[in-house]
Amino acid sequence: MALLRRKRDDKEVEPAPVPAPASIPMCDALPRERVCVKGKVVRMTARPTSGQPALAVSISDETATVTAVWTGRREIGGITLGRKIAISGVPVLRGDHLEFTNPDYTLLPR
Amino acid sequence: MNVIIAGAGSVGRYMAGQLQDSGHTVTLIDNDSTVVAQGRATRTPVGVTWCLGDACEVATLTAVGAAQADVVAAVTGDDEDNLVVSLLSKQEFAVPRVLARVNNPKNEWMFNDMWGVDVSVSTPHLLTGLVEEAVTVGSFVRLLSLEGGKARLAEVTLATGSPAVSKELTELGLPRESTVVAVLRDGHVVVPRGDTVLHEGDEVLVLVTGGVEDDVRRALVG
Repeated sequence: MALLRRKRDDKEVEPAPVPAPASIPMCDALPRERVCVKGKVVRMTARPTSGQPALAVSISDETATVTAVWTGRREIGGITLGRKIAISGVPVLRGDHLEFTNPDYTLLPR
Repeated sequence: MNVIIAGAGSVGRYMAGQLQDSGHTVTLIDNDSTVVAQGRATRTPVGVTWCLGDACEVATLTAVGAAQADVVAAVTGDDEDNLVVSLLSKQEFAVPRVLARVNNPKNEWMFNDMWGVDVSVSTPHLLTGLVEEAVTVGSFVRLLSLEGGKARLAEVTLATGSPAVSKELTELGLPRESTVVAVLRDGHVVVPRGDTVLHEGDEVLVLVTGGVEDDVRRALVG
Protein backbone atom coordinates (compact mmCIF):
# COMPACT_ATOMS: atom_id res chain seq x y z
CA MET A 1 0.00 0.00 0.00
CA ALA A 2 2.81 2.37 0.96
CA LEU A 3 4.54 1.47 -2.25
CA LEU A 4 1.41 2.18 -4.18
CA ARG A 5 0.99 5.51 -2.48
CA ARG A 6 4.57 6.47 -3.18
CA LYS A 7 4.09 5.58 -6.80
CA ARG A 8 1.06 7.79 -6.94
CA ASP A 9 2.99 10.65 -5.36
CA ASP A 10 5.77 10.21 -7.91
CA LYS A 11 3.36 10.93 -10.66
CA GLU A 12 3.00 14.58 -9.74
CA VAL A 13 4.49 15.65 -13.10
CA GLU A 14 1.46 14.24 -14.85
CA PRO A 15 -1.08 17.04 -15.21
CA ALA A 16 -4.46 16.52 -13.64
CA PRO A 17 -6.96 15.62 -16.35
CA VAL A 18 -8.94 18.68 -17.37
CA PRO A 19 -12.55 17.96 -16.50
CA ALA A 20 -14.61 17.91 -19.66
CA PRO A 21 -17.22 20.67 -19.68
CA ALA A 22 -20.73 19.38 -19.25
CA SER A 23 -22.23 18.63 -22.63
CA ILE A 24 -25.25 20.50 -23.91
CA PRO A 25 -27.85 19.67 -26.57
CA MET A 26 -26.51 20.53 -30.03
CA CYS A 27 -29.37 22.88 -30.78
CA ASP A 28 -28.20 25.09 -27.88
CA ALA A 29 -24.62 25.40 -29.16
CA LEU A 30 -23.72 28.86 -30.43
CA PRO A 31 -21.04 29.87 -32.92
CA ARG A 32 -17.74 31.03 -31.39
CA GLU A 33 -18.54 29.74 -27.91
CA ARG A 34 -16.60 26.85 -26.47
CA VAL A 35 -18.95 23.92 -25.97
CA CYS A 36 -18.99 20.19 -25.49
CA VAL A 37 -21.59 18.16 -27.36
CA LYS A 38 -22.33 14.44 -27.49
CA GLY A 39 -23.82 12.42 -30.28
CA LYS A 40 -23.66 9.59 -32.76
CA VAL A 41 -21.46 9.61 -35.85
CA VAL A 42 -23.86 9.68 -38.78
CA ARG A 43 -21.53 10.44 -41.65
CA MET A 44 -17.81 10.32 -42.31
CA THR A 45 -16.06 11.87 -45.27
CA ALA A 46 -12.36 11.87 -45.97
CA ARG A 47 -12.06 14.98 -48.02
CA PRO A 48 -9.23 16.72 -49.72
CA THR A 49 -8.86 20.27 -48.53
CA SER A 50 -6.83 22.02 -51.23
CA GLY A 51 -5.15 18.70 -51.85
CA GLN A 52 -4.41 18.11 -48.16
CA PRO A 53 -6.23 15.34 -46.33
CA ALA A 54 -9.02 16.08 -43.87
CA LEU A 55 -11.58 13.96 -42.08
CA ALA A 56 -15.09 15.43 -41.78
CA VAL A 57 -17.42 13.71 -39.35
CA SER A 58 -21.10 14.58 -38.90
CA ILE A 59 -22.39 13.97 -35.40
CA SER A 60 -26.05 13.99 -34.43
CA ASP A 61 -28.01 14.06 -31.23
CA GLU A 62 -31.80 14.24 -31.20
CA THR A 63 -31.74 18.03 -31.60
CA ALA A 64 -29.29 18.82 -34.41
CA THR A 65 -26.26 17.75 -36.43
CA VAL A 66 -22.80 19.28 -36.24
CA THR A 67 -19.65 18.61 -38.24
CA ALA A 68 -16.15 18.09 -36.90
CA VAL A 69 -13.21 18.47 -39.25
CA TRP A 70 -9.81 17.09 -38.36
CA THR A 71 -7.15 18.31 -40.72
CA GLY A 72 -4.13 16.37 -41.87
CA ARG A 73 -5.67 12.90 -41.51
CA ARG A 74 -8.14 10.65 -43.26
CA GLU A 75 -9.09 8.46 -40.30
CA ILE A 76 -9.06 8.39 -36.52
CA GLY A 77 -8.90 5.08 -34.69
CA GLY A 78 -12.17 4.37 -32.88
CA ILE A 79 -14.29 6.87 -34.75
CA THR A 80 -16.62 4.79 -36.88
CA LEU A 81 -20.17 5.17 -38.16
CA GLY A 82 -22.67 4.81 -35.34
CA ARG A 83 -20.09 5.39 -32.58
CA LYS A 84 -21.04 7.76 -29.76
CA ILE A 85 -18.48 10.49 -29.20
CA ALA A 86 -18.21 13.74 -27.32
CA ILE A 87 -16.38 16.68 -28.87
CA SER A 88 -15.43 19.99 -27.41
CA GLY A 89 -14.17 23.07 -29.18
CA VAL A 90 -15.22 26.37 -30.67
CA PRO A 91 -17.57 25.98 -33.64
CA VAL A 92 -18.16 28.29 -36.59
CA LEU A 93 -21.39 28.60 -38.49
CA ARG A 94 -20.91 27.11 -41.95
CA GLY A 95 -24.04 27.21 -44.05
CA ASP A 96 -26.83 26.03 -41.76
CA HIS A 97 -24.80 23.94 -39.34
CA LEU A 98 -21.96 24.34 -36.89
CA GLU A 99 -18.48 23.15 -37.76
CA PHE A 100 -15.64 22.42 -35.33
CA THR A 101 -12.03 22.49 -36.46
CA ASN A 102 -9.75 19.96 -34.74
CA PRO A 103 -11.94 19.63 -31.62
CA ASP A 104 -10.92 17.54 -28.61
CA TYR A 105 -12.81 14.25 -28.71
CA THR A 106 -13.71 11.45 -26.34
CA LEU A 107 -14.96 8.06 -27.44
CA LEU A 108 -17.99 7.15 -25.36
CA PRO A 109 -18.96 3.61 -24.35
CA ARG A 110 -21.22 1.99 -26.88
CA MET B 1 -14.54 45.66 -37.30
CA ASN B 2 -12.38 44.29 -34.58
CA VAL B 3 -8.95 43.44 -36.01
CA ILE B 4 -5.99 41.75 -34.34
CA ILE B 5 -2.61 42.02 -36.01
CA ALA B 6 0.23 39.72 -34.97
CA GLY B 7 3.62 41.21 -35.71
CA ALA B 8 4.36 44.92 -35.35
CA GLY B 9 7.00 45.20 -38.03
CA SER B 10 6.67 47.72 -40.82
CA VAL B 11 3.88 45.66 -42.43
CA GLY B 12 1.89 45.24 -39.20
CA ARG B 13 2.23 48.88 -38.15
CA TYR B 14 1.31 50.16 -41.60
CA MET B 15 -1.79 47.93 -41.73
CA ALA B 16 -2.76 48.97 -38.21
CA GLY B 17 -2.54 52.66 -39.12
CA GLN B 18 -4.57 52.25 -42.30
CA LEU B 19 -7.27 50.16 -40.64
CA GLN B 20 -7.51 52.44 -37.63
CA ASP B 21 -7.91 55.40 -40.00
CA SER B 22 -10.81 53.68 -41.71
CA GLY B 23 -12.57 53.33 -38.38
CA HIS B 24 -11.72 49.80 -37.28
CA THR B 25 -10.62 48.76 -33.81
CA VAL B 26 -7.06 47.46 -34.06
CA THR B 27 -4.87 45.56 -31.60
CA LEU B 28 -1.19 45.01 -32.40
CA ILE B 29 0.70 42.14 -30.76
CA ASP B 30 4.47 41.88 -30.69
CA ASN B 31 6.88 39.99 -28.46
CA ASP B 32 9.62 42.63 -28.68
CA SER B 33 9.29 44.87 -25.61
CA THR B 34 11.31 47.69 -27.26
CA VAL B 35 8.95 47.82 -30.22
CA VAL B 36 5.85 47.80 -28.01
CA ALA B 37 7.25 50.39 -25.58
CA GLN B 38 8.19 52.67 -28.46
CA GLY B 39 4.79 52.24 -30.08
CA ARG B 40 3.03 53.05 -26.80
CA ALA B 41 5.28 56.04 -26.08
CA THR B 42 5.02 57.63 -29.51
CA ARG B 43 1.35 56.66 -29.91
CA THR B 44 1.91 55.59 -33.49
CA PRO B 45 -0.14 54.40 -35.19
CA VAL B 46 -2.72 56.58 -33.44
CA GLY B 47 -5.47 54.84 -31.49
CA VAL B 48 -4.05 51.33 -31.80
CA THR B 49 -4.05 49.10 -28.71
CA TRP B 50 -0.64 47.52 -28.09
CA CYS B 51 -0.05 44.14 -26.51
CA LEU B 52 3.31 42.76 -25.46
CA GLY B 53 3.25 39.00 -25.81
CA ASP B 54 3.71 35.94 -27.93
CA ALA B 55 0.84 35.71 -30.43
CA CYS B 56 1.57 31.99 -30.80
CA GLU B 57 0.20 31.44 -27.30
CA VAL B 58 -3.48 30.91 -26.63
CA ALA B 59 -3.23 33.00 -23.44
CA THR B 60 -2.04 36.06 -25.40
CA LEU B 61 -4.77 35.69 -28.00
CA THR B 62 -7.37 35.25 -25.25
CA ALA B 63 -6.12 38.40 -23.53
CA VAL B 64 -6.52 40.54 -26.66
CA GLY B 65 -10.05 39.24 -27.24
CA ALA B 66 -9.54 36.90 -30.18
CA ALA B 67 -12.87 35.27 -29.28
CA GLN B 68 -14.63 38.45 -30.39
CA ALA B 69 -12.29 39.40 -33.25
CA ASP B 70 -13.66 39.68 -36.78
CA VAL B 71 -10.26 39.39 -38.43
CA VAL B 72 -6.84 38.14 -37.39
CA ALA B 73 -3.88 39.04 -39.58
CA ALA B 74 -0.66 37.10 -39.00
CA VAL B 75 2.02 39.26 -40.58
CA THR B 76 5.21 38.48 -38.68
CA GLY B 77 8.43 37.93 -40.58
CA ASP B 78 8.35 34.27 -39.68
CA ASP B 79 6.21 31.82 -41.65
CA GLU B 80 6.03 29.24 -38.85
CA ASP B 81 4.70 31.86 -36.44
CA ASN B 82 2.16 33.06 -38.98
CA LEU B 83 0.88 29.52 -39.45
CA VAL B 84 0.62 28.88 -35.70
CA VAL B 85 -1.26 32.15 -35.14
CA SER B 86 -3.61 31.28 -38.03
CA LEU B 87 -4.33 27.77 -36.80
CA LEU B 88 -4.94 28.90 -33.22
CA SER B 89 -7.23 31.72 -34.36
CA LYS B 90 -9.34 29.33 -36.40
CA GLN B 91 -9.29 26.33 -34.10
CA GLU B 92 -9.48 27.92 -30.66
CA PHE B 93 -11.36 31.13 -31.41
CA ALA B 94 -13.23 30.39 -34.67
CA VAL B 95 -12.20 33.76 -36.09
CA PRO B 96 -14.28 34.30 -39.26
CA ARG B 97 -11.44 35.67 -41.35
CA VAL B 98 -7.77 34.83 -40.96
CA LEU B 99 -5.13 36.44 -43.15
CA ALA B 100 -1.52 35.33 -43.22
CA ARG B 101 1.59 36.74 -44.79
CA VAL B 102 3.88 34.40 -46.69
CA ASN B 103 7.52 35.43 -46.33
CA ASN B 104 9.18 32.62 -48.24
CA PRO B 105 7.27 31.66 -51.41
CA LYS B 106 8.44 28.06 -50.88
CA ASN B 107 6.08 27.86 -47.92
CA GLU B 108 3.05 29.17 -49.76
CA TRP B 109 1.54 25.69 -50.30
CA MET B 110 0.96 25.38 -46.56
CA PHE B 111 -1.05 28.59 -46.24
CA ASN B 112 -4.49 27.07 -46.74
CA ASP B 113 -7.53 26.07 -44.72
CA MET B 114 -5.65 23.14 -43.24
CA TRP B 115 -3.73 25.70 -41.21
CA GLY B 116 -6.73 27.94 -40.70
CA VAL B 117 -5.68 30.48 -43.33
CA ASP B 118 -8.51 32.05 -45.35
CA VAL B 119 -6.41 34.44 -47.37
CA SER B 120 -2.68 34.30 -47.85
CA VAL B 121 -0.66 37.15 -49.22
CA SER B 122 2.77 36.45 -50.57
CA THR B 123 4.79 39.60 -51.15
CA PRO B 124 7.27 37.97 -53.56
CA HIS B 125 4.38 36.45 -55.49
CA LEU B 126 2.56 39.78 -55.66
CA LEU B 127 5.73 41.48 -56.84
CA THR B 128 6.23 38.87 -59.55
CA GLY B 129 2.63 39.48 -60.59
CA LEU B 130 3.21 43.22 -60.72
CA VAL B 131 6.43 42.85 -62.70
CA GLU B 132 4.69 40.52 -65.12
CA GLU B 133 1.90 43.04 -65.37
CA ALA B 134 4.38 45.79 -66.19
CA VAL B 135 6.06 43.86 -68.95
CA THR B 136 3.18 42.03 -70.54
CA VAL B 137 0.41 43.32 -72.69
CA GLY B 138 -2.11 40.86 -73.97
CA SER B 139 -1.46 38.09 -71.51
CA PHE B 140 -3.23 36.80 -68.50
CA VAL B 141 -1.58 37.74 -65.18
CA ARG B 142 -2.71 36.26 -61.86
CA LEU B 143 -2.59 38.90 -59.17
CA LEU B 144 -4.14 37.37 -56.09
CA SER B 145 -5.36 34.00 -54.94
CA LEU B 146 -8.31 33.81 -52.54
CA GLU B 147 -9.89 30.95 -50.64
CA GLY B 148 -6.83 28.76 -51.08
CA GLY B 149 -6.74 29.19 -54.85
CA LYS B 150 -10.44 28.53 -55.48
CA ALA B 151 -10.90 32.13 -56.55
CA ARG B 152 -8.33 34.22 -58.33
CA LEU B 153 -8.04 37.82 -59.32
CA ALA B 154 -6.40 38.09 -62.71
CA GLU B 155 -5.56 40.96 -65.02
CA VAL B 156 -5.41 41.27 -68.76
CA THR B 157 -4.22 44.31 -70.66
CA LEU B 158 -6.07 44.18 -73.96
CA ALA B 159 -3.74 44.04 -76.95
CA THR B 160 -4.64 45.16 -80.48
CA GLY B 161 -5.68 41.72 -81.65
CA SER B 162 -7.77 40.82 -78.61
CA PRO B 163 -11.20 39.40 -79.46
CA ALA B 164 -12.67 41.53 -76.66
CA VAL B 165 -11.80 44.93 -78.16
CA SER B 166 -14.85 47.03 -79.20
CA LYS B 167 -17.23 44.54 -77.61
CA GLU B 168 -19.73 45.02 -74.81
CA LEU B 169 -19.11 42.90 -71.73
CA THR B 170 -22.30 40.88 -72.28
CA GLU B 171 -21.08 39.94 -75.75
CA LEU B 172 -17.86 38.39 -74.46
CA GLY B 173 -19.52 35.16 -73.39
CA LEU B 174 -17.59 34.97 -70.12
CA PRO B 175 -18.40 31.86 -68.09
CA ARG B 176 -20.79 32.27 -65.15
CA GLU B 177 -17.98 31.40 -62.72
CA SER B 178 -16.15 34.60 -63.64
CA THR B 179 -16.87 38.29 -63.52
CA VAL B 180 -15.18 41.49 -64.63
CA VAL B 181 -14.68 43.53 -61.44
CA ALA B 182 -13.01 46.65 -62.82
CA VAL B 183 -11.68 48.16 -66.00
CA LEU B 184 -8.72 50.55 -65.73
CA ARG B 185 -8.64 53.02 -68.61
CA ASP B 186 -6.29 56.03 -68.94
CA GLY B 187 -5.69 56.08 -65.21
CA HIS B 188 -9.40 55.94 -64.37
CA VAL B 189 -11.43 53.10 -62.96
CA VAL B 190 -14.47 52.23 -65.02
CA VAL B 191 -17.10 50.35 -63.04
CA PRO B 192 -18.11 47.59 -65.42
CA ARG B 193 -21.71 47.15 -66.54
CA GLY B 194 -23.08 44.81 -69.14
CA ASP B 195 -23.00 47.53 -71.77
CA THR B 196 -19.44 48.74 -71.03
CA VAL B 197 -17.46 48.63 -74.27
CA LEU B 198 -13.84 47.52 -73.98
CA HIS B 199 -11.03 49.37 -75.73
CA GLU B 200 -7.54 48.45 -76.74
CA GLY B 201 -5.13 49.08 -73.86
CA ASP B 202 -7.79 48.62 -71.18
CA GLU B 203 -6.62 46.78 -68.09
CA VAL B 204 -9.39 44.34 -67.27
CA LEU B 205 -9.53 42.84 -63.78
CA VAL B 206 -11.40 39.55 -63.64
CA LEU B 207 -12.42 37.44 -60.70
CA VAL B 208 -12.22 33.79 -61.71
CA THR B 209 -13.45 30.80 -59.72
CA GLY B 210 -13.28 27.13 -60.51
CA GLY B 211 -11.63 25.82 -63.62
CA VAL B 212 -12.83 28.40 -66.11
CA GLU B 213 -9.57 30.31 -66.41
CA ASP B 214 -8.94 28.98 -69.91
CA ASP B 215 -12.36 30.18 -71.11
CA VAL B 216 -11.71 33.65 -69.68
CA ARG B 217 -8.29 33.71 -71.27
CA ARG B 218 -9.82 32.75 -74.62
CA ALA B 219 -12.45 35.51 -74.40
CA LEU B 220 -9.98 38.26 -73.47
CA VAL B 221 -6.63 37.24 -74.93
CA GLY B 222 -7.71 35.08 -77.84
